[in-house]
Amino acid sequence: MDDLPLEKIAISGPTLASMMQRLSSSRGDVDGLLFGHVTRITPSTLSDDTSPSFDGPSDSSHLVATVTSFLCPSSSPLSFYDSLGRLNAPSLSRLLPSPSSSAIAADGGSHFLGWLSFRRRSQTRPSMREYSVSHSLSRSSHLSFPVANSETAPVTLTPCIFLLFATPVHDQAIHTHDYRAYQFRLSTTSFEPKPIDIVNIGPAFRGHYESFSPNSAFPMLNCEMRGSSSPMVEEDRSAEEQKQLDLCAEGFDVGDLKRLMGVEATGYTRGLEDLYEKMLVKIDGLARQVESSNAQVIEQEKRIKDLRYKAAARSGAE
Amino acid sequence: MSLDRFPPLISAQLHYLLAHYPDIIKVEHTWSGSKYNSGIHDRFTLLIPYCLDYLKWDVLYNVDSPLAPPDVIFGPDDEDFHPLLGLDGVGDLVLEKSSLCDWNNQDPRRLLALIVELRKKYMAYQRNRVGAVDDDRLKFEISTFGSREVIFRTQFERMLNIPLSCNASYNISLKTPVTLLQGIEMHMSSGFEKPEEVKFAVPLLDMNINKMVLACPWRYPQKIYLQVVYPVTRKYGSAPSAPRLKLMSTPDLKELFSIEDVKLPPWVDGMCMAEYLPPLEELLQRQVVEAVTSIDARRCFIEALVPWFGRPLEADSVFCRKVSFLAASGVFTFLVHFFLGTQFPKQQPVLILQSTQHFNMHGTPVKSTPLSEYPWSPRWEASQMAERMYDFLADESHNFKKYCSEYHLQQ
Repeated sequence: MDDLPLEKIAISGPTLASMMQRLSSSRGDVDGLLFGHVTRITPSTLSDDTSPSFDGPSDSSHLVATVTSFLCPSSSPLSFYDSLGRLNAPSLSRLLPSPSSSAIAADGGSHFLGWLSFRRRSQTRPSMREYSVSHSLSRSSHLSFPVANSETAPVTLTPCIFLLFATPVHDQAIHTHDYRAYQFRLSTTSFEPKPIDIVNIGPAFRGHYESFSPNSAFPMLNCEMRGSSSPMVEEDRSAEEQKQLDLCAEGFDVGDLKRLMGVEATGYTRGLEDLYEKMLVKIDGLARQVESSNAQVIEQEKRIKDLRYKAAARSGAE
Repeated sequence: MSLDRFPPLISAQLHYLLAHYPDIIKVEHTWSGSKYNSGIHDRFTLLIPYCLDYLKWDVLYNVDSPLAPPDVIFGPDDEDFHPLLGLDGVGDLVLEKSSLCDWNNQDPRRLLALIVELRKKYMAYQRNRVGAVDDDRLKFEISTFGSREVIFRTQFERMLNIPLSCNASYNISLKTPVTLLQGIEMHMSSGFEKPEEVKFAVPLLDMNINKMVLACPWRYPQKIYLQVVYPVTRKYGSAPSAPRLKLMSTPDLKELFSIEDVKLPPWVDGMCMAEYLPPLEELLQRQVVEAVTSIDARRCFIEALVPWFGRPLEADSVFCRKVSFLAASGVFTFLVHFFLGTQFPKQQPVLILQSTQHFNMHGTPVKSTPLSEYPWSPRWEASQMAERMYDFLADESHNFKKYCSEYHLQQ
């Protein structure tokens, strides 16, 4: 677990925009996890002057963290920590991709970099609990990830990044959002403010093309229990999936597709059209099911909201 | 400040805090953090007295998660104050047991317990900061505080009847009326373009002033503090400059005793607080006792007025600072207000006459200017004072009557 200083935190415009959209559409305060990668950047200020002072380990400070995606698990805060800012390991591991998939993601550079907190109408200073959460994350060596392009010995970092979003305490018509980025340093046990670099397209950002690898990760829907992905289980699962697929095909064999070629084809079209029609009906049925269940979800959400405000609006009753 | 815009659970906690906090705590500003329900408030700024000043802390609840524990944002100068982590050095910070541990929003006492706990930790945090300052004089001054604090600590324990160990404090704060530890509070102020200074709030006088006043109406214990501000001097050898001294008291005390009237003894070069404080405390003690006996002198005087003026219309029965009588000179009836100073009888009373028959254009009664120029001697008996005042007023009533009718004609 190394405690190296980051130079800056980069985030692409669309990622930041979708983050803000997610936050500002929420009813109350939100927190979430940040994913991305940390890269060592070779300083591009090379000159013909070969003075030795530029050599040596001084380039260790050129670490850039790039946030590529985020996950806001629920509409209420305290999703992966408790009232004191201690990590809740089971809920955190549920939110993080499982080790097997993170191994794949590691190529795309999707590591757990840190977290974000949004609180409407509050000061843009880390709060008591936010400090504690970042402190806990930075101390979790089992969450550490490697730094890409590290030439020398492999360097790792813990999820030390914290993005703070807030809106002004007093209503202002134009100014709507504040955001700040911090790195939690274990050596000083304090937040260090870091500049945010919004990566965009344009001539001024040409330098980013070398280092920036945009990646739109498929949203993580991984809800399985951890440790259940042994090869045996894997096989079982694929057999299960095949069975479900066969059920959908309703006796239609892949081998039958051969009959599409040659003389048999004309007679076979009918059979294929039948299958196609059946599938359309099935899809239609499914769509209707989804529609009605969505309506139920919305209804339920509305009911929860009403109950909540009923409880909240009994103001002054006590 | 209206507090009825909070949802019931938060409102109950806030009201409990305001009613049971052992000092004057204020809610400065309340607002809502909800997107759709900006009418229901869930955030507020608390003004918490500390070191003769206020700490401004934002407490954030969440109306959309009514059971979630609150969070606190501290002042901009307290970025290094992290009460959820222990104070046990730099290495391995451990999360301490706190009242947030098993938070229950349905228990109205929780916010009070949290604020008391945080303030206590803030005091320890400032103490550590001040202790870390590299200034020989400060180090010496702090080393002499120990003996003073032992006295206050035992007094505090006597009040609560329980020995105070550090880890028991959380339980105390929930089960018994909370009392803040009367220690010497410190504050280190530093910052960009600000001189480094250390401020101490030293509680003076080991006596309970509330108990000395008969039928005492004060809700909070009244205290006198000496505010001492030391500029930090890091250079060795250079003579340290004298600290800035100021006497301060809890606000209600001025009814009994005005600390503005106390002349502070001079601070001689090379002096330390352990030398300075005992004579000051002696002086104050004498003056407070005098102020308390002055209440009796005022009461005697008011009683002596009764045979001459009749029963008072209104009288301050606790501190005897104010009394009003109805008087008449012929058909002209008027009120006489007596205002008695804290240093009565050394200070003679101030009189204001008020007509019951003449009014100005706003409909308020015509009043005389404050009268304090009349024969007076603090050595007279109370009955003689009353008699002399009656004689003076008999004459003065003619002037006042003339003044009233002239005033009336002008309009």
